[in-house]
Amino acid sequence: MSSFSRSAQQWATFARSWFLIDARMQPPGKIATMCAIRLQGKHKPIYHAMSDCGDHIVVMNSKQIAFSGNKWEQKVYSSHTGYPGGFKQLTAAQMHHKDPKAIMKLSVYGMLPKNLHRRTMMQRLHIFPDDELPDDILANLTEELPQPREIPKQLSEFTQEEIDAFPRLWTPPENYKMK
Amino acid sequence: MVFLSLSCWIRSRGPDRYWKIQEIVKNAKHFRGRKNRCYSLAVKAVRRAFVYATKGRRLKKRYMRTLWISRIAAASREHGMKYPVLMHNLTKSSVQLNRRVISDMAITEPRSFLSLAKVARARQQEGFRAALGDGKEPVGVFSRVVLLQ
Repeated sequence: MSSFSRSAQQWATFARSWFLIDARMQPPGKIATMCAIRLQGKHKPIYHAMSDCGDHIVVMNSKQIAFSGNKWEQKVYSSHTGYPGGFKQLTAAQMHHKDPKAIMKLSVYGMLPKNLHRRTMMQRLHIFPDDELPDDILANLTEELPQPREIPKQLSEFTQEEIDAFPRLWTPPENYKMK
Repeated sequence: MVFLSLSCWIRSRGPDRYWKIQEIVKNAKHFRGRKNRCYSLAVKAVRRAFVYATKGRRLKKRYMRTLWISRIAAASREHGMKYPVLMHNLTKSSVQLNRRVISDMAITEPRSFLSLAKVARARQQEGFRAALGDGKEPVGVFSRVVLLQ
Protein backbone atom coordinates (compact mmCIF):
# COMPACT_ATOMS: atom_id res chain seq x y z
CA MET A 1 0.00 0.00 0.00
CA SER A 2 2.94 2.32 0.63
CA SER A 3 3.96 2.17 -3.02
CA PHE A 4 0.61 3.69 -4.17
CA SER A 5 0.33 7.46 -4.54
CA ARG A 6 -2.22 9.22 -2.35
CA SER A 7 -4.54 9.91 -5.25
CA ALA A 8 -4.41 6.30 -6.44
CA GLN A 9 -5.10 5.04 -2.92
CA GLN A 10 -8.10 7.37 -2.57
CA TRP A 11 -9.43 6.32 -5.97
CA ALA A 12 -9.17 2.66 -4.95
CA THR A 13 -10.84 3.27 -1.57
CA PHE A 14 -13.85 5.08 -3.01
CA ALA A 15 -14.27 2.84 -6.07
CA ARG A 16 -17.61 1.15 -6.59
CA SER A 17 -17.50 -2.67 -6.60
CA TRP A 18 -19.97 -5.04 -8.19
CA PHE A 19 -21.32 -7.88 -6.03
CA LEU A 20 -23.13 -11.00 -7.25
CA ILE A 21 -25.77 -12.86 -5.18
CA ASP A 22 -27.42 -16.11 -6.24
CA ALA A 23 -31.01 -16.04 -4.91
CA ARG A 24 -31.73 -19.69 -5.67
CA MET A 25 -33.83 -21.24 -2.83
CA GLN A 26 -33.17 -18.19 -0.61
CA PRO A 27 -35.72 -16.14 1.35
CA PRO A 28 -36.07 -12.78 -0.46
CA GLY A 29 -35.99 -10.82 2.80
CA LYS A 30 -32.54 -12.08 3.76
CA ILE A 31 -31.21 -11.34 0.27
CA ALA A 32 -32.80 -7.90 0.47
CA THR A 33 -31.07 -7.01 3.77
CA MET A 34 -27.69 -7.93 2.30
CA CYS A 35 -28.47 -5.86 -0.81
CA ALA A 36 -29.69 -2.86 1.18
CA ILE A 37 -26.59 -2.76 3.39
CA ARG A 38 -24.26 -2.82 0.40
CA LEU A 39 -26.29 -0.41 -1.74
CA GLN A 40 -26.05 2.21 1.02
CA GLY A 41 -22.36 1.55 1.61
CA LYS A 42 -22.85 0.61 5.26
CA HIS A 43 -20.41 -2.28 4.89
CA LYS A 44 -17.51 0.17 4.46
CA PRO A 45 -15.69 1.92 7.32
CA ILE A 46 -15.65 5.09 5.16
CA TYR A 47 -19.46 5.24 5.14
CA HIS A 48 -21.20 8.61 5.09
CA ALA A 49 -24.75 9.25 3.92
CA MET A 50 -23.61 12.09 1.67
CA SER A 51 -20.55 10.37 0.18
CA ASP A 52 -22.41 8.19 -2.35
CA CYS A 53 -20.32 5.16 -1.38
CA GLY A 54 -22.79 2.42 -2.34
CA ASP A 55 -21.89 -0.50 -4.56
CA HIS A 56 -23.65 -2.29 -7.41
CA ILE A 57 -25.44 -5.55 -6.65
CA VAL A 58 -26.48 -8.15 -9.23
CA VAL A 59 -29.12 -10.64 -8.05
CA MET A 60 -29.55 -13.70 -10.25
CA ASN A 61 -32.11 -16.52 -10.21
CA SER A 62 -34.73 -14.26 -8.67
CA LYS A 63 -37.35 -16.53 -10.25
CA GLN A 64 -36.31 -19.26 -7.77
CA ILE A 65 -36.63 -17.39 -4.48
CA ALA A 66 -38.25 -19.35 -1.67
CA PHE A 67 -40.55 -17.78 0.90
CA SER A 68 -40.83 -19.65 4.19
CA GLY A 69 -44.18 -20.65 5.65
CA ASN A 70 -47.37 -19.93 3.72
CA LYS A 71 -46.25 -16.53 2.48
CA TRP A 72 -46.79 -17.38 -1.18
CA GLU A 73 -50.54 -17.46 -0.48
CA GLN A 74 -50.76 -15.16 2.54
CA LYS A 75 -48.43 -12.24 1.77
CA VAL A 76 -50.35 -9.50 -0.03
CA TYR A 77 -48.83 -6.70 -2.10
CA SER A 78 -51.26 -3.77 -2.25
CA SER A 79 -51.27 -0.71 -4.46
CA HIS A 80 -53.70 1.96 -5.60
CA THR A 81 -53.80 3.41 -9.10
CA GLY A 82 -55.14 6.74 -7.83
CA TYR A 83 -58.46 6.35 -9.61
CA PRO A 84 -61.63 5.41 -7.68
CA GLY A 85 -62.03 1.68 -7.38
CA GLY A 86 -58.38 1.21 -8.23
CA PHE A 87 -57.25 -0.59 -5.09
CA LYS A 88 -55.30 -3.64 -6.29
CA GLN A 89 -54.21 -6.50 -4.07
CA LEU A 90 -52.01 -9.31 -5.32
CA THR A 91 -50.77 -12.34 -3.42
CA ALA A 92 -47.07 -13.05 -3.60
CA ALA A 93 -47.68 -16.01 -5.92
CA GLN A 94 -49.68 -13.89 -8.41
CA MET A 95 -47.10 -11.09 -8.25
CA HIS A 96 -44.26 -13.54 -8.91
CA HIS A 97 -46.13 -15.09 -11.83
CA LYS A 98 -46.75 -11.65 -13.34
CA ASP A 99 -43.16 -10.42 -12.89
CA PRO A 100 -40.44 -12.64 -11.33
CA LYS A 101 -38.26 -9.61 -10.49
CA ALA A 102 -40.92 -7.61 -8.64
CA ILE A 103 -40.82 -9.31 -5.23
CA MET A 104 -37.06 -8.86 -4.92
CA LYS A 105 -37.29 -5.24 -6.09
CA LEU A 106 -40.07 -4.33 -3.66
CA SER A 107 -38.35 -5.94 -0.69
CA VAL A 108 -35.10 -4.05 -1.33
CA TYR A 109 -37.04 -0.81 -1.99
CA GLY A 110 -38.74 -1.11 1.40
CA MET A 111 -35.45 -1.70 3.22
CA LEU A 112 -33.60 1.31 1.85
CA PRO A 113 -33.78 4.65 3.72
CA LYS A 114 -36.81 6.66 2.68
CA ASN A 115 -35.01 9.62 1.13
CA LEU A 116 -34.08 10.90 -2.31
CA HIS A 117 -31.01 8.64 -2.48
CA ARG A 118 -33.29 5.61 -2.62
CA ARG A 119 -34.00 5.92 -6.34
CA THR A 120 -30.29 6.17 -7.19
CA MET A 121 -29.57 3.14 -5.04
CA MET A 122 -32.31 1.17 -6.82
CA GLN A 123 -30.70 2.08 -10.14
CA ARG A 124 -27.56 0.31 -8.89
CA LEU A 125 -29.47 -2.89 -8.11
CA HIS A 126 -29.67 -5.29 -11.07
CA ILE A 127 -32.08 -8.24 -10.81
CA PHE A 128 -32.18 -11.10 -13.29
CA PRO A 129 -34.78 -13.90 -13.16
CA ASP A 130 -32.35 -16.52 -14.63
CA ASP A 131 -28.62 -17.01 -14.33
CA GLU A 132 -27.97 -15.54 -17.78
CA LEU A 133 -26.20 -12.24 -17.26
CA PRO A 134 -25.30 -9.78 -20.02
CA ASP A 135 -21.61 -9.61 -20.93
CA ASP A 136 -21.01 -6.05 -19.77
CA ILE A 137 -22.31 -6.87 -16.28
CA LEU A 138 -20.35 -10.14 -16.19
CA ALA A 139 -17.21 -8.19 -16.98
CA ASN A 140 -17.79 -5.80 -14.04
CA LEU A 141 -18.41 -8.36 -11.29
CA THR A 142 -15.80 -8.41 -8.52
CA GLU A 143 -17.09 -10.64 -5.74
CA GLU A 144 -19.75 -13.24 -5.08
CA LEU A 145 -21.45 -13.09 -1.69
CA PRO A 146 -22.24 -16.32 0.20
CA GLN A 147 -25.88 -17.33 0.38
CA PRO A 148 -27.62 -16.54 3.70
CA ARG A 149 -29.56 -19.81 3.88
CA GLU A 150 -28.14 -23.32 3.62
CA ILE A 151 -30.13 -25.17 0.96
CA PRO A 152 -31.32 -28.47 2.53
CA LYS A 153 -30.57 -31.58 0.52
CA GLN A 154 -33.51 -33.13 -1.30
CA LEU A 155 -34.31 -36.83 -0.95
CA SER A 156 -33.61 -37.41 -4.66
CA GLU A 157 -30.05 -36.01 -4.18
CA PHE A 158 -29.08 -38.66 -1.60
CA THR A 159 -27.25 -41.70 -2.96
CA GLN A 160 -28.66 -45.18 -2.20
CA GLU A 161 -25.67 -45.95 0.06
CA GLU A 162 -26.33 -42.84 2.18
CA ILE A 163 -30.00 -43.79 2.47
CA ASP A 164 -29.07 -47.32 3.58
CA ALA A 165 -26.43 -46.05 5.99
CA PHE A 166 -28.93 -43.69 7.67
CA PRO A 167 -29.95 -45.02 11.13
CA ARG A 168 -33.49 -46.43 11.34
CA LEU A 169 -35.75 -46.07 14.38
CA TRP A 170 -37.69 -49.31 13.73
CA THR A 171 -38.00 -51.90 10.97
CA PRO A 172 -41.58 -52.66 9.85
CA PRO A 173 -42.68 -56.34 9.96
CA GLU A 174 -42.99 -58.21 6.64
CA ASN A 175 -46.77 -58.02 6.21
CA TYR A 176 -46.95 -54.30 7.19
CA LYS A 177 -48.81 -52.28 4.57
CA MET A 178 -47.18 -48.86 3.94
CA LYS A 179 -49.21 -46.32 1.99
CA MET B 1 -32.40 78.14 23.50
CA VAL B 2 -28.67 77.85 23.19
CA PHE B 3 -28.30 77.00 19.48
CA LEU B 4 -27.93 80.40 17.93
CA SER B 5 -26.62 79.44 14.43
CA LEU B 6 -27.26 76.69 11.81
CA SER B 7 -23.99 74.91 12.34
CA CYS B 8 -24.82 74.37 16.03
CA TRP B 9 -28.21 72.83 15.18
CA ILE B 10 -26.63 69.70 13.70
CA ARG B 11 -26.74 66.82 16.20
CA SER B 12 -24.83 63.60 16.10
CA ARG B 13 -27.45 60.98 16.88
CA GLY B 14 -25.16 58.03 17.26
CA PRO B 15 -22.10 57.84 15.09
CA ASP B 16 -21.99 54.07 14.71
CA ARG B 17 -25.35 53.10 13.19
CA TYR B 18 -23.63 51.60 10.14
CA TRP B 19 -21.49 49.27 12.21
CA LYS B 20 -24.35 48.22 14.46
CA ILE B 21 -26.36 47.21 11.40
CA GLN B 22 -23.39 45.50 9.78
CA GLU B 23 -22.80 43.43 12.92
CA ILE B 24 -26.14 41.74 12.29
CA VAL B 25 -26.36 41.83 8.50
CA LYS B 26 -22.89 40.34 7.96
CA ASN B 27 -24.21 37.10 9.45
CA ALA B 28 -26.97 37.04 6.82
CA LYS B 29 -24.91 37.63 3.71
CA HIS B 30 -25.44 34.08 2.41
CA PHE B 31 -29.25 34.15 2.82
CA ARG B 32 -31.80 34.28 0.02
CA GLY B 33 -33.84 37.32 -0.91
CA ARG B 34 -34.06 40.67 0.87
CA LYS B 35 -33.15 39.24 4.22
CA ASN B 36 -29.48 39.35 3.23
CA ARG B 37 -29.62 43.16 2.85
CA CYS B 38 -32.46 44.79 4.76
CA TYR B 39 -31.97 45.17 8.49
CA SER B 40 -35.50 44.53 9.79
CA LEU B 41 -35.84 41.31 7.79
CA ALA B 42 -32.27 40.26 8.49
CA VAL B 43 -32.67 40.64 12.26
CA LYS B 44 -35.44 38.04 12.39
CA ALA B 45 -33.63 35.66 10.04
CA VAL B 46 -30.35 35.94 11.92
CA ARG B 47 -32.00 35.31 15.27
CA ARG B 48 -33.66 32.18 13.87
CA ALA B 49 -30.38 31.03 12.36
CA PHE B 50 -28.56 31.43 15.68
CA VAL B 51 -31.28 29.45 17.48
CA TYR B 52 -30.94 26.63 14.96
CA ALA B 53 -27.15 26.74 15.33
CA THR B 54 -27.46 26.37 19.12
CA LYS B 55 -29.76 23.39 18.79
CA GLY B 56 -27.55 21.94 16.07
CA ARG B 57 -24.44 22.01 18.25
CA ARG B 58 -26.12 19.52 20.59
CA LEU B 59 -27.43 17.37 17.74
CA LYS B 60 -24.02 17.28 16.05
CA LYS B 61 -22.58 15.39 19.00
CA ARG B 62 -25.31 12.74 18.61
CA TYR B 63 -24.94 12.47 14.83
CA MET B 64 -21.17 12.12 15.05
CA ARG B 65 -21.48 9.35 17.62
CA THR B 66 -23.95 7.37 15.48
CA LEU B 67 -21.63 7.83 12.48
CA TRP B 68 -18.65 6.52 14.46
CA ILE B 69 -20.71 3.56 15.67
CA SER B 70 -21.88 2.60 12.17
CA ARG B 71 -18.31 2.88 10.85
CA ILE B 72 -16.94 0.71 13.65
CA ALA B 73 -19.76 -1.80 13.04
CA ALA B 74 -18.91 -1.99 9.33
CA ALA B 75 -15.20 -2.45 10.01
CA SER B 76 -15.77 -5.10 12.69
CA ARG B 77 -18.12 -7.02 10.39
CA GLU B 78 -15.30 -7.10 7.85
CA HIS B 79 -13.34 -9.02 10.49
CA GLY B 80 -16.23 -11.34 11.38
CA MET B 81 -17.36 -9.67 14.61
CA LYS B 82 -20.37 -7.55 15.52
CA TYR B 83 -20.21 -4.07 17.04
CA PRO B 84 -21.75 -4.85 20.48
CA VAL B 85 -19.47 -7.86 20.94
CA LEU B 86 -16.41 -5.81 20.00
CA MET B 87 -17.16 -2.87 22.31
CA HIS B 88 -18.21 -5.03 25.27
CA ASN B 89 -15.08 -7.13 25.09
CA LEU B 90 -12.85 -4.08 24.65
CA THR B 91 -14.31 -2.49 27.79
CA LYS B 92 -13.88 -5.77 29.64
CA SER B 93 -10.22 -5.82 28.58
CA SER B 94 -9.93 -2.23 29.95
CA VAL B 95 -9.20 -0.72 26.51
CA GLN B 96 -10.48 2.80 27.10
CA LEU B 97 -10.41 4.08 23.52
CA ASN B 98 -13.48 6.07 22.60
CA ARG B 99 -15.57 5.53 19.49
CA ARG B 100 -14.07 8.49 17.65
CA VAL B 101 -10.55 7.11 17.93
CA ILE B 102 -11.56 3.57 17.06
CA SER B 103 -13.46 4.70 13.94
CA ASP B 104 -10.49 6.80 12.79
CA MET B 105 -8.25 3.80 13.37
CA ALA B 106 -10.58 1.61 11.32
CA ILE B 107 -10.17 4.00 8.39
CA THR B 108 -6.53 5.06 8.52
CA GLU B 109 -4.88 2.23 10.51
CA PRO B 110 -6.61 -1.01 9.51
CA ARG B 111 -3.98 -3.29 11.00
CA SER B 112 -4.24 -1.70 14.43
CA PHE B 113 -8.01 -2.12 14.22
CA LEU B 114 -7.48 -5.77 13.32
CA SER B 115 -5.34 -6.22 16.42
CA LEU B 116 -8.11 -4.62 18.54
CA ALA B 117 -10.60 -7.06 17.02
CA LYS B 118 -8.30 -9.95 17.90
CA VAL B 119 -7.99 -8.73 21.50
CA ALA B 120 -11.78 -8.57 21.75
CA ARG B 121 -12.13 -12.04 20.24
CA ALA B 122 -9.58 -13.50 22.69
CA ARG B 123 -11.36 -11.90 25.64
CA GLN B 124 -14.67 -13.29 24.35
CA GLN B 125 -13.23 -16.81 24.19
CA GLU B 126 -11.85 -16.43 27.73
CA GLY B 127 -15.29 -15.35 28.89
CA PHE B 128 -16.88 -18.41 27.28
CA ARG B 129 -14.28 -20.70 28.87
CA ALA B 130 -14.85 -19.14 32.28
CA ALA B 131 -18.63 -19.46 31.97
CA LEU B 132 -18.80 -22.95 30.48
CA GLY B 133 -15.70 -24.48 32.04
CA ASP B 134 -15.23 -26.00 35.49
CA GLY B 135 -13.63 -23.01 37.15
CA LYS B 136 -10.49 -25.02 37.87
CA GLU B 137 -8.70 -23.58 34.82
CA PRO B 138 -6.79 -20.34 35.33
CA VAL B 139 -8.43 -17.16 34.08
CA GLY B 140 -7.01 -15.98 30.77
CA VAL B 141 -4.52 -13.22 30.09
CA PHE B 142 -6.98 -10.54 29.00
CA SER B 143 -9.38 -11.15 31.87
CA ARG B 144 -6.85 -10.00 34.42
CA VAL B 145 -7.76 -6.29 34.58
CA VAL B 146 -4.84 -4.19 35.78
CA LEU B 147 -5.80 -1.22 37.96
CA LEU B 148 -3.15 1.47 37.65
CA GLN B 149 -2.82 3.39 40.89
